Amino acid sequence: MDGKIDTPTDTFIQVAEVWVPKDDVLVYAAGDTNGLGAFEEASRGTRFAKGEGLPGKAWAEARPVVLKGFDGSYFKRTEVAKEAGLSAAVAVPVFDGDTLKAVLVVLCGDDAERIGAIEVWTANRDGLLMLDDGYYGAAEEFAFVSQHTCFPRGQGLPGGVWAADAPILMRDLGSGYKFVRASAAGKAGLTSGIGLPVRVPGGTPYVLTLLSALGTPIARRFEVWAVKRGGKAVLIDGVCEREGALWRDDGDGTRAEAPKAEAWKGPVGQVLGTGLPVVQRGAGGLPAGYGAFVGLPSYGGGAMTHIVAWYI
Amino acid sequence: MSWIDLCAIDDIPLRGARRIKTAQGCVALFRTGDTEVFAAADRCPHKGGPLSEGIVHGQSVTCPLHNMVFDLTTGQARGEAMQIQTHALRIEDGRVLIDGAKLRARSAA
Amino acid sequence: MSTRKLVVIGAGMASGRALEHLFEAAPGQWDVTLFNAEPRGNYNRIMLSPVLSGEKSYGEIVIHDDDWYAQHGVTCRFGEKVLSIDADAKLVEGEKGVVPYDKLLIATGSTPFIVPLPGHDLDGVIAYRDLEDTNRMIDAAATPGARVVVIGGGLLGLEAAAGLRLRGMEVTVVHLMGHLMDRQLDESAGFLLRKSLESRGIDIRCGANSKEILGENGKVRALLLDDGTELSCDLLVMAVGIRPNIALAKEAGLATGRGIHVDGQMITSNADILSVGECIEHDGAVFGLVAPLYDQAKVAAQTLLGTHATFVQKQLSTKLKVTGCDLFSAGDFAEGDGREDIVFRDPGRGIYKRLVIEGHRLIGAVMYGDTADSNWFFGLIRDGTDIDDMRETLIFGPAYQGGASADPLSAVAALPPEAEICGCNGICKGTITDAIAGGATDLGAVRAQTKASASCGTCTGLVEQLLQVTLGDAFQMPAAQPICGCCDLSHEDVRRLIKAQELKSQEAVWQELGWKTRNGCHVCRPAVNFYLLADWPLEYRDDPQSRFVNERKHANIQKDGTFSVVPRMWGGITTPAELRAIADAAEKYAVPTVKVTGGQRIDLLGVKGEDLPGIWADLNAAGLVSGHAYSKGLRTVKTCVGTDHCRFGTQDSTGLGVKLEQILWGSWTPHKVKLAVSGCPRNCAEATCKDVGIVCVDSGYQVGVGGAAGMDVKETERLGDAATEQEAIDLTVAFIQLYRENAKYLDRPYKWVAKVGLDWVKARVVDDLDERARLIAAFDLSQSIYRKDPWAEEAKRAPAFQPVADLTLEAAE
Repeated sequence: MDGKIDTPTDTFIQVAEVWVPKDDVLVYAAGDTNGLGAFEEASRGTRFAKGEGLPGKAWAEARPVVLKGFDGSYFKRTEVAKEAGLSAAVAVPVFDGDTLKAVLVVLCGDDAERIGAIEVWTANRDGLLMLDDGYYGAAEEFAFVSQHTCFPRGQGLPGGVWAADAPILMRDLGSGYKFVRASAAGKAGLTSGIGLPVRVPGGTPYVLTLLSALGTPIARRFEVWAVKRGGKAVLIDGVCEREGALWRDDGDGTRAEAPKAEAWKGPVGQVLGTGLPVVQRGAGGLPAGYGAFVGLPSYGGGAMTHIVAWYI
Repeated sequence: MSWIDLCAIDDIPLRGARRIKTAQGCVALFRTGDTEVFAAADRCPHKGGPLSEGIVHGQSVTCPLHNMVFDLTTGQARGEAMQIQTHALRIEDGRVLIDGAKLRARSAA
Repeated sequence: MSTRKLVVIGAGMASGRALEHLFEAAPGQWDVTLFNAEPRGNYNRIMLSPVLSGEKSYGEIVIHDDDWYAQHGVTCRFGEKVLSIDADAKLVEGEKGVVPYDKLLIATGSTPFIVPLPGHDLDGVIAYRDLEDTNRMIDAAATPGARVVVIGGGLLGLEAAAGLRLRGMEVTVVHLMGHLMDRQLDESAGFLLRKSLESRGIDIRCGANSKEILGENGKVRALLLDDGTELSCDLLVMAVGIRPNIALAKEAGLATGRGIHVDGQMITSNADILSVGECIEHDGAVFGLVAPLYDQAKVAAQTLLGTHATFVQKQLSTKLKVTGCDLFSAGDFAEGDGREDIVFRDPGRGIYKRLVIEGHRLIGAVMYGDTADSNWFFGLIRDGTDIDDMRETLIFGPAYQGGASADPLSAVAALPPEAEICGCNGICKGTITDAIAGGATDLGAVRAQTKASASCGTCTGLVEQLLQVTLGDAFQMPAAQPICGCCDLSHEDVRRLIKAQELKSQEAVWQELGWKTRNGCHVCRPAVNFYLLADWPLEYRDDPQSRFVNERKHANIQKDGTFSVVPRMWGGITTPAELRAIADAAEKYAVPTVKVTGGQRIDLLGVKGEDLPGIWADLNAAGLVSGHAYSKGLRTVKTCVGTDHCRFGTQDSTGLGVKLEQILWGSWTPHKVKLAVSGCPRNCAEATCKDVGIVCVDSGYQVGVGGAAGMDVKETERLGDAATEQEAIDLTVAFIQLYRENAKYLDRPYKWVAKVGLDWVKARVVDDLDERARLIAAFDLSQSIYRKDPWAEEAKRAPAFQPVADLTLEAAE
């Protein structure tokens, strides 16, 4: 893990943006368009009513929405997206109880080389988690396996997240049998994965998983933060290509000097302070060697419980 | 101190009690938790009810005759100027031991 | 200074930490040779569970890698077993040769305890201790649908279970004790943990005793429990505990007990040999958690450096490494005098916290669901902080200290309008206050308009507080009649919630309904026990420790502490043989008073507690069973002689009485139930003042209910007329089951009927034939468990009636 990744690699997610409700419409709050200026300009000029476009659909239907192929769809920025080489998008609503706090939208490029997975899982009537939809880039076999796998509570990454009601980070997806879909994941070159519960009104369980491959990573650094009272958060798990393991645990639960975040300080602090997803590029406060940050909060019982963060 | 081995902790039902006979009358062993046992006089000072037959709850016992509630940690009756004698116990390797020296000293006195 | 030779046996976390201290304080002073039976160096064994689950990789839990050992000049002899220690010659003999030492540090750790069940040596039976075990489990999980049984519901066993489940296995945990992690958690926290693990699809069996491991072709096939249950499995993991690994030290002649004896400086009985870690015994204690091991490592390093340091045993804390199971336990929450509990439960969020206070100090804490402040509490325990000033708000954690004491009304008033009040229906404060402003001025109206508190009802108190805050004096807080001080809910609410939320254990009721005490009190526990057994006859079993003495002893306690014994006489009919047996028993046990009761039975009064099993056995031998003259259940069915002998008799009243008694006996009810059957309207059996009284007439049977002849005297009301004997029986059984399902504990039928109205009862028992059939079926189901003679059961455990020890001689010495 020693500093071998200083050359910028192509990334799986190309654009990430945060939409927040204002006067009954969703407005563009922040984003990382990765140099795609025209797309950002188009986004800034757009408003989404409830049910309108991709973010509005995620809001109205109160669930994460995956959209593959913009042509002829409800996607409103099709032309400018196509010009920017974007072809798929996922919108994740962030609810606190019944209240929509924001919608995080990530967009991916159309490229036969890009490998990765963004998946949305939800429970069927038999109490099994089934793939609701997913975007896999070129990982076609893995996509097929995923469509035909279901997870009972407690099993696998999606089932584990569902049962634990907490984000889970998994390592070495392809090696050995450390992941239920390991063999297909290994062939696709997927290395690490993070799953997080997406809580929506009505209580239907949704689990969002991001599986990252070395060549076109979703992130080279993942962090899971547990939110404590008084605007603080503690890093409970994390893995970084440069620094290795980010968690600190001596096992006695008392001397653990886990990194802490405070409201408004640093990018994770922005999530804590605003209560919203935060997307940031190039600004200060990022760990050395990283240029972009996405932080996604999840809520439960009327308060923020976890923050999942990924860095490129 | 001289500790006398009385019984296995599992001989006493959880949230129940057993009695031991001593020279000064019966002492009740109350099992309030998996590994928590208290010893106190079996006789309620109110009308002599057998406390070992009462309902054990929290760290208290309720006398079966007239519902006097005694705090087993102190022997004090709740809301009444009444007290029962308590005895030191030790739990070791799943056995219940009582301080025999004190029992003896008291009978000698 | 010349370098000295240190040999270390065992590259675990304790010896690793000792080496770190040593190299930091005196680099280059020691020439270290490190033996390890495992073919690798020091890794964080505690984090094997996340490796098992796939949440961590082995690389991440390595503490000392090859570079580290090379940098400090450690000669690593990994994968090599130590054969012997020659303490006189100061030599350690490894498989590949002998090494001399100036000082020796033994850190051989512990070995997992394997329960010597038949079959424990089968292939596929493993312990859970090191990376090899972990990898074997990971391999086993590769087979789709593979099943594993984990014996042991402690820290390690549950971490293994959760990890294997995450890997896709079908997991069953078999635990000997009544609740999980019984050494670290109390029942309530154990209940929540169990619930969380079960929600992951893990099958948990508490109070389960393993009998034998069954195999096929030398490979494990199943685990057999002593109740005959067979749990099939492809892998069996034993995680029941560890034992200090002392064989080497013992052979070398060192003093050992349960572990290797060391003093406060970590020196063994040989001045040149030190020992640290799970292999040692210090001041009678052995160690399994990492914190004291690190303390020992520090002391051992200082002893080697010639500095004086002393190891002191400290309070410990425990966390379970299962993602999403947030629990913490520290200090002492059992045993002892003068202790006080503070309990906090938030059923909505699955939170339970219990603090144990002794004098002015916090000495123990158990938390589940919210452990955010656990380090703060642990600090208070460890430092012995005086907590008197914050006792009232202590349980709310550090954020609440120093503020004004909380008035519940002001807290509700301060909530923002969007604050959620009713979690079930997602109703926020604003919606409720709007409804109140719009004219909903009582709880029922708010419920009807907003649905708030209409589902689980646990927010009823909050809604009432909102009514009071909004309406001020115009709102009269209803005189809430909670069962007792342990909770805020009425009997009716608790009954409703036990059904609605499918609560099937006392622990579930205490947690989910927000009990404020550990396990209730003498008022609520018998009621909750009855509600549970009435609603869940198969899932829940009567808990004798939640019964009043009479029902636990199956005899009535008298004011002098003796008991009365009443054998059952079906319908009041007896025989000379039975009477002879009763007379014999009365003489044998010197019964001072023999009396005929108002219910046509014979009462033997003044039997000593320890004689009960004997007299029951004697009566049983003559075919007599318990008359339940002590129970909140069916007492007697009184009859007259009917058509058999009486010239006025219209039906076989005696026969019907006997039948009813044989159907109903043994059933638990909210209060006692007495019946009578009279053969004609002259009513010689006094049926019209019974809980159920049947009067035979020419056309059939008049079934009356709700009579009383105690402090209140009341005539029965007509439930209905039955044309046939069977219909009379059906009406009676259905009525009693309806009473069992709905009445408040300790309400006799006449009180309950007055509350719900006879029409409500008739609608279900008489008019709705489907409901009548359901009630009868439900009663039959319950009776399949409870229609049996408690005397026969109790007589078998006669020793439990004797004092557990007799110290009269001992103490008089």
